[in-house]
Parts: sequence; structure tokens; C-alpha cells
Amino acid sequence: MRKRILAVALALSLLASLSASVMAQDAFDPYAPYRGDTIVVSWPSLYHFQQAATLIPQFEEETGINVEVDFLQYQAMKPAQEVELQKPRTGEYDVVAWVVFTKSEYVINGYLEPLANFFVDPALADPSYMPEDLVPAWVETGGVVGGTNAYLPGPTQALYGLPFGAETSILVYRADIFEEHDLAVPTTYDEMLSTAAYITENVDGVYGMTSRGAAGHQIVHGWLLHLSPYGGTIFDSSWEPVVTSPEAIASLHALKTIMDNSPPGVETYGFGDQANAFLQGDSAMYVDSHKVAAMTRDPNQSLVDGKVGYALHPKVGDAECGLSETGGFAMGIPSNSANQEAAFLFMQWMTSPRIDRELALIGGDPARISTLNDPEMQAMFPEYAVVVEQLECANPNWRPLIPEWGALNAPILGVYVSEFATGAMSAEEAMAQAAEEIRAEMDRAGYYGWSSMGM
Amino acid sequence: MLSSIKARQIRIAYLFLLPAIIVFTLGLIVPLANTFELSFNRLSMGSRWEDRDYVGADNYARMVDDAHVLSSVGVTLRFAAVVLAAELVIGMGLALLLEKPIKGAAIFRTIFILPLMVSPVAVGLIWRYLLDGRIGLVNHYLGLLGIPAQTWLGDPNLAFFSIVITDIWQWTPFIFIILLAGLQALPSEVLEASRIDGANWFQMTFLIKVPMLRSILLVTILMRLIDVFRALEVIFIMTFGGPGRSTQVLSLHIYKTAFTSQTLGYASTIAVVLMFLMLVLSLGLLLFSNPLKERADF
Repeated sequence: MRKRILAVALALSLLASLSASVMAQDAFDPYAPYRGDTIVVSWPSLYHFQQAATLIPQFEEETGINVEVDFLQYQAMKPAQEVELQKPRTGEYDVVAWVVFTKSEYVINGYLEPLANFFVDPALADPSYMPEDLVPAWVETGGVVGGTNAYLPGPTQALYGLPFGAETSILVYRADIFEEHDLAVPTTYDEMLSTAAYITENVDGVYGMTSRGAAGHQIVHGWLLHLSPYGGTIFDSSWEPVVTSPEAIASLHALKTIMDNSPPGVETYGFGDQANAFLQGDSAMYVDSHKVAAMTRDPNQSLVDGKVGYALHPKVGDAECGLSETGGFAMGIPSNSANQEAAFLFMQWMTSPRIDRELALIGGDPARISTLNDPEMQAMFPEYAVVVEQLECANPNWRPLIPEWGALNAPILGVYVSEFATGAMSAEEAMAQAAEEIRAEMDRAGYYGWSSMGM
Repeated sequence: MLSSIKARQIRIAYLFLLPAIIVFTLGLIVPLANTFELSFNRLSMGSRWEDRDYVGADNYARMVDDAHVLSSVGVTLRFAAVVLAAELVIGMGLALLLEKPIKGAAIFRTIFILPLMVSPVAVGLIWRYLLDGRIGLVNHYLGLLGIPAQTWLGDPNLAFFSIVITDIWQWTPFIFIILLAGLQALPSEVLEASRIDGANWFQMTFLIKVPMLRSILLVTILMRLIDVFRALEVIFIMTFGGPGRSTQVLSLHIYKTAFTSQTLGYASTIAVVLMFLMLVLSLGLLLFSNPLKERADF
């Protein structure tokens, strides 16, 4: 009898465990095959990414995938990534974030995996992901390679990254000063420049504007912010440099006026210095990344919380809107990662509608239109409404994201824009010299090979 | 028997030398040879060594016309001349002041050599903030004296002046400490004899001490010259070569060519020229007066 009871109990427990496993098979869990795996993520130690890292325990709990983040200062991040990405076998990193202008270089070196490989896999791609909700300009700037001009969208494009920590430019101004002096919020460059001069002259201890101005990458960024709304570009459609165009020269003079109405030492300012000038109350207007909005709310670095207004990037003349920058970061998967599927699941989770909103709530930068458009979020973060409107006019072609950009940016343009800004050369002279050197560099890189065949 | 012992000693001597030779070869000769080879090739960052393209003397031809290289050679030579002259005069002056056992000399000596102990990156940051146009202490104190705020690092001339001052602040102690050691090692008989002969301070300093310090002075100048040509970190942090090209020394230009432009081949070409320039200057100095040779003549 006892034996029989034991046998029945055994049979019942076997049946129970069997049915449990069958049920488990029925309940689809995309994360199950990767449970216990560890992925390594290379992120810059910037506020958005640090906030994102606080959500990692939640990801680990929900998925069972472990995540290690390798935080590096953002300029030190690329060399560290290159060491890993060059390894012929498995590299250390499973997810890498990059500044948008690095994307083509990484792709041409064969470092990145096309994301289509994962989005076609029904076991990996979440049907509720809503890729169309990601801000298109940011997807194009940070992740699309191989379309028009090699870095813009087009029929031959492929997707290598998802926007994460992306940005656009808006006008941020001191609402209190504008109100006190009965100033209208500028909508055009002419208005902005004259308002800047007025403030510098009439508001004690406050300069009209702030800008990046340090020789090299910083001043080029500062200038390109204005080149785009002035209608200029670096190249024409056949890769001939057009930095001597009237639009380019006019935008340089705008930069000079802005710098003349910025605090002393602007010629040495990087992003942090120019933001500080605004946050410390020394400057009344700022035109650059919208990320400064979150910084104005941080009592540790801002004296202007509650005194700030947001407006669209000013336009030039009769233009419909001011063509703003599209920049910041994107993230993707290295070709030599050993955990690509788990890495994809991590990226998909981090950029999903739910987490995008959660991340925005703790101070991160949303990458989705739904988050930016959410009335509840807009009430909390007043810049969102402006950012959404500005993104309609964001220009993914405001800066040529070709692999050679590094050689043109700081070493050539960074020198000549600075020579002009500090009065050592005229705008025409500086840009003529820059155009000559840019052409030589592009020629060496082989951009004129096909056209020289004359076919 | 004796010769076999000697041969064994020589063998052992070579054995002891071997680690140094290996380190020297791997750490210096091989990289130098690679740099020289790379100067005739095109290789971008991220590409493998095997993927380099041989371009003959193209890089050298390009460099002859490169206004950036010429201007950075100019900036480097100007920088070297100004800082070396200033550091020598100030370093020598301080050494002469503090060679005598005056009260508190040890404290002064310690204070004077402190800047030497600060890492170049920290030096760059300290001076960058001191000279900041908006929040810098230098402008603050000048303001108290009624002098208007200057954009020290934003004006081409002032930026050059600023990196010169920073270099003098950090490296004068090096010259001071070596010359002080040299002064204290001078044979006291000669100095006593000159004193008995009635030499005044000026004669003792410039006709006796300085000529006797010549070898040390020359080695010091040579070491500083090499250092100045390598100077990178402080300028990197303070101005990154700007505004324009006003503080772009050759080493910084090489850095940018290699790591910003990502053209390793061309950067190697400029590095080879920098090496050549230093070699010529060092040889010139040694030809002018070779301390090693003088020692051999004794």
C-alpha cells in the first residue's frame, strides 16, 4: 500500500513538472535563451547615460541578462572602443555608443553589425517596439549609413544604430531679463544678433549670448550651428567644398557677432564653458543642444532655474524655419561581439517606448516622439514642446558625417574659423585657405576619382 | 689563464648588458624604425599595419607645402627660445641667491621646486582656470588694481604669452635645482683664491662661477630643449593649439595629425622631421661645446 502511494505520488510529481515545462514552453520568453549571459556596454560618462545605468538593475531583473557598463570620458571612449573593435576575434564590448560623426568611420572599418539582422528575427524583434516613433532625424543622423552621400537616408541605406542621448539645437533665453527689458523673443538671426548687442550694452553684468569658441572641433560646431540656417553646407553634391559661399561667409559673421557679445574668454569655450556662462547667469541667450535645459534645472550647476524660456532655433530671412543641428549619440552592436542577440535585446529594451519615458522622467534624453509629445511630460519639461516642433526642421545634413570628417573638422576648419574669429584673417581669406586644404584632403581620400574619369 | 678570466668577465658583462639592450631595442629602436617606415606609407587609424599603402616620398613632398607644419615649427622655435632664455636667467638668479646658507634657504628651495612635482595635466588645468577670462583669479586680482579683464587664452598673442609663463613656472625649478647643485659642487679653493685676489661679486659670478658651470649649463639646456620640443600636455589642455594656430607647437600638430585627422603615415613623417630638427639642434649645441669631450680631456 505504502509503495503504491509512493508510486502514485512520484507519478503525479513527474506529471506536474512535465506540464510545468510544457506550459513554460507555451509562455514565450525572448530573454530565456540568454538568461545568465553577461553583456558589456561601452558608454560615455555623461548625465543621460549615467541615468540610463540606474535602470540596468530593472533590466537585469526583467530579463535575467547581466549588464556591465564601461563608463569612459566621452573623448577617451572612442580610442578605447577602437582597441576592442579592431580585435579580429571576440572583442570586449557587446554594445557601443558613439558620437554621431563616428558612425561612417566605424562602418567603413567593419566594426558594426547591421541592425536589420536582428529586426528580421521574430524571436528577437519586439512587435510593440514602434520604430516609427523614434525621432526620424535622430535615427538618420546617428544610425543610418550608406544612403545619399554615404551618411544620409536614401535607397541604399542600412541601419547600424539607434538614437540614444541624441540632441537638436534650440534657443534658450533668460525669460526674466527679456521681460524686465521688454524684449521680444527673437525668431530670426537678425533679431537675435541685435537683441544680443542690446543686452550686452544695457544689462549690467550680462552678455547677450554665449558660444563655443575654442580652436578645433568646438568652434567648428559653433559655426555649423549657424551655417545650416543660413543655408550653407560644407560640400556641394559633387564633394566640392563650398565654404566660401555667401551663406558660409554670412554665417561666419553671425558667429563673430555672437562671440563679440559673449563673456570674455569665449575664444576658449567648449560646450561646458558656454553652458556654464548661461547657467551662471552671465549670458542671456544660448543656441546649441537642447540638453542644457536639464542642466538649468540642476541646482548644483545652475543659478537660473525657473528663469529660462525656450524657443525655436532662429531662422534666416524668410525661411520657413531655422534648420537645427542633429547630433549627440547613438548605440549599436560590434561585429566582433560574442553576445549580439542579448546586446540587441538590451538596446531594444533601453529604447522601448516604456523605458524611453521612464528614462526621461529621471533626467535622460528621450528619443521618441511619443515621450516628447506626452502632455504630462511637457508640463514637467517645458522644452519638450519646443524640441518636438524644432525636430520638424532638424537637418541631418548640417554636418558631413563622412569618415574623413575628423581630418577636416578640427585640423582644417577648426584652425581657420578660429583664425577668423580672433581677427587674424578675414572670413574670405580664411575660408579660401580652408577650401583649398579640404579639397586636397578629399582628393587624397579618393572623392574625385570617379568624376575625373569624365564618363 | 688570465685571458680566459678576462674573456669570461667580458661575457658576463655582455650578459648583464643584455636586458638593457633588449629593452632599448624593443622600446626605442623598433618604434623608431617603424615610424621611419610609416613615414613613407599611408595608414589611417583603425586600419591594420599590413594594410598600409606605400606612397614613396609623397608625405615628405606634402609636408614641404604644408602651411600648418611650417607655422608650428615657427611656434615651437619661438616658444623654445623664449622659455629657455627666461628659465635660464631666472633659474640661475635663484640658484645664486640661494646657494649661500641663508636663513630659511631650505624652505625656499622646497617651495621653488614644488611646481616640478605637479603633473603636467594638473599644471595645464590650474593655469587654465587661473587665466580664465570669466572666472580666473588672475583677472580678478588685476581687476582690483583697476586693470581691465584680459582674455588670456582667447587672444593669439596673450595665449602664447600664457603658455610661456606656465612653462617658466613649471620648469624654472628644474634649471634652478641643477645649477644649485652645480654651484655647491664648485671647488672652494678657486672661489677662495678669487676672493683673496679681490674679485667682486660680478667678477666672481660671471668670470669664475658661470664659466666653471658651462658643462652643466649645456647639459641642462640640452635636456630642456628636448623637453620643450616634446611639450604637449599643458598646451593641449590650456589652448589645444589655438586661437587659430598661435600656440600650435609641432608635437601638438603631430598629435592632431595622428589622432584627429587619423593619418598615421603623415603624422610619422612630421615626427621624423621633428626628430631630425632636435638632432640638428642638439648636435649643434654639442659641437659648440661638448661636456663629455671636455671631461675626457682632463
